[in-house]
Amino acid sequence: MQNYDVTIIGGGPAGLAAAISACQNGAKTLLIEREARLGGILKQCIHDGFGLVRFGEKLSGPEYAERFMDEVEKTDCEIRVLTFVTRIKRMNGGFAVTLVSRDGVQTVQSRTLVLATGCRERTAKQVAIHGTRPAGVFTAGTAQHFTNLLGELPAKKCVILGSGDIGLIMARRLTLEGAEVIGVYEAKSTPSGLTRNIHQCLHDYQIPLYLSHTVTRVFGQDRLEKVEISRVDESMTPIPGTEQIIDCDALILSVGLIPENELAETLGVSLSAATKGPICDGQLMSSQEGIFSCGNALHVNDLVDYVSESGELAGKNAALYRGQSRDWVDIHTGKELLYCVPQKLNLQADNSEIVLYFRSRDVLNDCRLTLTVDGKEVFAKKYRFLRPPEMERLTLDFSSYGIRKNSDIRLEIEVKDDD
Amino acid sequence: MKRIEHINRNLQKRFGGAVRCEERDGCRIVSGTLDTWQQVVAACDLAADKYSKTHVVNDIVCREVKPASPRLPSLRDTALEGDAPDVLVIGGGISGVSIARELTKWKLDVLLVDKEADLALQASGRNDGEVHPGIDLGKGSLKHYYIRRANAMYGRICEELDVPFKRVGQYVCFDKGYLKPLVGLYCLWRKYHDGIEDTKLISGEELKMREPNFSERFRFAISNPSSGCVCPYGLTIAYAENAVQNGARVSLNTAVTAMQVENGKIVSVSTNRGTIYPKLVINAAGVFADDVAAMADDRFFSIHPRRGTNSILDTKAGVLMHSIASIKELSASKTHSKGGGILHTVHDNLLVGPDAVETWEKENTATRKESIETVFDKQTKTMPKLTQRDIITYFTGVRAPTFEEDFIIEPGRRTENIIHCAGIQSPGLTTAPAVALDIEQMAVAFLRKQMPVEKNEKYDPHRKGIPVLRDMSDEERAELIRQNPDYGVIVCRCEEISKGEILDALRSPICVPTVDGVKKRVRPGMGRCQGGFCSPLVTKIIADEFGIPISEVRKSSAESVITYGKI
Amino acid sequence: MTELTCIVCPRGCSLRVDGEGDSITVTGNACKRGEAFAVSEMLHPMRTICTTVRTSFPDAPVLPVRVSAEIPKDRIFDVMREIKKVTLTKPVARGETVIENVLGLSVNVISESDLLLHEKREG
Repeated sequence: MQNYDVTIIGGGPAGLAAAISACQNGAKTLLIEREARLGGILKQCIHDGFGLVRFGEKLSGPEYAERFMDEVEKTDCEIRVLTFVTRIKRMNGGFAVTLVSRDGVQTVQSRTLVLATGCRERTAKQVAIHGTRPAGVFTAGTAQHFTNLLGELPAKKCVILGSGDIGLIMARRLTLEGAEVIGVYEAKSTPSGLTRNIHQCLHDYQIPLYLSHTVTRVFGQDRLEKVEISRVDESMTPIPGTEQIIDCDALILSVGLIPENELAETLGVSLSAATKGPICDGQLMSSQEGIFSCGNALHVNDLVDYVSESGELAGKNAALYRGQSRDWVDIHTGKELLYCVPQKLNLQADNSEIVLYFRSRDVLNDCRLTLTVDGKEVFAKKYRFLRPPEMERLTLDFSSYGIRKNSDIRLEIEVKDDD
Repeated sequence: MKRIEHINRNLQKRFGGAVRCEERDGCRIVSGTLDTWQQVVAACDLAADKYSKTHVVNDIVCREVKPASPRLPSLRDTALEGDAPDVLVIGGGISGVSIARELTKWKLDVLLVDKEADLALQASGRNDGEVHPGIDLGKGSLKHYYIRRANAMYGRICEELDVPFKRVGQYVCFDKGYLKPLVGLYCLWRKYHDGIEDTKLISGEELKMREPNFSERFRFAISNPSSGCVCPYGLTIAYAENAVQNGARVSLNTAVTAMQVENGKIVSVSTNRGTIYPKLVINAAGVFADDVAAMADDRFFSIHPRRGTNSILDTKAGVLMHSIASIKELSASKTHSKGGGILHTVHDNLLVGPDAVETWEKENTATRKESIETVFDKQTKTMPKLTQRDIITYFTGVRAPTFEEDFIIEPGRRTENIIHCAGIQSPGLTTAPAVALDIEQMAVAFLRKQMPVEKNEKYDPHRKGIPVLRDMSDEERAELIRQNPDYGVIVCRCEEISKGEILDALRSPICVPTVDGVKKRVRPGMGRCQGGFCSPLVTKIIADEFGIPISEVRKSSAESVITYGKI
Repeated sequence: MTELTCIVCPRGCSLRVDGEGDSITVTGNACKRGEAFAVSEMLHPMRTICTTVRTSFPDAPVLPVRVSAEIPKDRIFDVMREIKKVTLTKPVARGETVIENVLGLSVNVISESDLLLHEKREG
């Protein structure tokens, strides 16, 4: 049986970065990708804006991914594409990973795992859209696949539900290809996507954005013919009497992403209800010893630069992992925070340079983020605004905060009263 | 039996003379004008005797009903012009295909037509897949007559047709301990009076042990170990494929639009693909069975469609329970409707539902939010851990009951060369294998009066299904991949379906080269991402296999365009 | 006064632009690029476009391309029309030019990907 130090599942941006850093840290590394080409979802993200943080230039998705692919080719990393993980079991202090490919079924052994499985899109049924089941109802990613990988036009006159970034990007993309985008409808009272995308994808092309609106029904036996749109109240419940019918041939959904952790769950990895990704420590190790998580499988990121960053961290720590014991302590988040990652600190590890990501629950102006340890404020930072779609990142030296085993660590936001 | 005077007195009392009932040609014809469909159903119910062979024919004009003609395929050609089969089966649901398959035991030219783009697109593909134990059916009904025999056949049939079937058992749970002696007596009565032998009572503790996630409040349950589940469209397709392998022909996108009847005999049947001249017609047209009977000049019953919605939950929720839980309200016998339940499917999802709503729309399978909510309100009482958050999809089907709420399995009453298999609703999936055998005999007896009917010596009851690689051992899987490396390329990651399996579906005996056709046969897109990742890949595989542009691949019907061509 | 959202980076600063011509002042920007963006946006708005060109490769029917530098915003659809005229029959590497000096804008249309280098050609 072949034996590896680190096995990385998923060859998208997180997995690529993990593979490079695992190799750089001396690990015998295996990278597994189920598709024919590496790059993950970036293959179809042909728009630019990737890599500003990392490379200081605006790259397209394929350009960004291929820089990492070039890099990984230079390492000793073993890459298997068109290979699918069907099963993972713990064995002899490591893992037995069963793979299916054109070559058959094979089981390899690995000391550690890095789960870089990405995320999937929420579907029409998951946002309770009712009616018929015609062709022409696509998630934004599916529409993007048809357009950017297969070169096929999935819509001529469409409605976009949800103002997530992929939805905004697809609004522009379809407009460029000659389709009419009637509007982007968002159930929340604030946009879900980045402000610059609202500007450059919608405003630039005069595509209207309707907040506090949702699609409640679809019509059409064969191909979609029309949708019913309703206004919603603050709890996002449709308001009766506000229905309007709009003729269109496609409904494109950008209503949220869900980290893919089905494999993780079979291994007993604890997931966070807030992120839907593994609960992990500053080294990105999950509740299960030797299993690391990164990228959109860990939590949904809005910038690929951070996906790569977490991949690098997970890859490096997997390479360095030798079964050291851990002492976990919680980082509690206040109610103004949607979540923070990591959710735990391992007191046995080096915590002098912990990258902490967080999102606010609502749009907040003029607020102050505080980190307290046992009631004592150890760090604070002012923010002019915080928006849930825009993830914030901090590097903190937790080793200097005097954290002990039963310490109470709290990350909270104080909002100035603005009466 | 209700007396006609009695019926008319009740109709008068309830509807003030707006409707009346008369007995003619052995039927009860109800006519008049009413405002709502609900009133129409109530009036016909008043006139009907449960399980009676004297059927109610609904001639009431309903003001709320917007008359709609059946949706017909756009295809027009002459592929079937002048075709003269021995038997024409109308309807590619479980009834039609099982009859067609049994008929291939004989040297007969059997042609099955369905107006849809695939088999099992209506009720047979839109139900819960339960193989019923027959506990709630009264003696004297055809449902009861067939169910024990059919239930016992399931193991063999599913083995022959190579489809998954699991006898997982069903529980009818009760929360009132004091009912136990009464329900115990009921079980005994069923056993000795109705011959339903496996039914027994189990204690609350026993139930808890078997299904630990059921509600704490249950004190005891009726256990029906003979109950099971099957993939209803999978079984339908398998039956049809076996029929085709044994010589039957299946023509999809083929709608019967009219019949020419002379001297009590169907001479010809018009379709969008030409006129057919069959010796015998079998009416297995589901919700349209009364329309087909009318075309054949043999209208002696009416269908009143009843909608039901089921939800499918993620396989992650599948671990919550392993059997079938049925809710049986003590007043349920009055409502005719199934109480619905929770079922662990053969694909390890949970299925929750269905509800039961009367409707005049035979083909409206649009889902509604209210249905899902009603069903969940009810079923979370059985299993509190059930949550709508686990729903991955939902669908609505339309049942095809008569007002007598029983099957009609008999030759035409006025037209000689037709056999009706009508009024088929739950437990029609369960009873189909046994019903098919009886109709086979009726058909052969009829045909023998005009032609010799000999055994088909080449008949093979066995059909080999498409291999399901995810269920295989690593060794079996590796061997198949060695023979065909496409089995090693996973296209649908949620359900772990390989390119090889998809190509097998496209090369199967009844090829339906659409995204939905592939999905029904080998399941890509049935999982939690609902085809988000794999639908473009499946579309491309279909295009490549048939050498057509992607824009010519369809989701289901000829008009269900997926893409509009090259950008 | 004009309000703009800076699209240079994901931060998306809200910019306020006062004055006109040579005396434009920009506030709300977190970096210099924001100021440059605002000035350009007021005088001659520029955008990039990313799209695809057709190819004759069956398993890679399109190749992602983009413009090598920003083009005037009002020429976006003109450039799109030019790109649509192209069908690639030979592999093009990432960064290689697909259309040189498109519409005389002194900007090239370049490949975003090495994808075609690994593809089998038709036939």
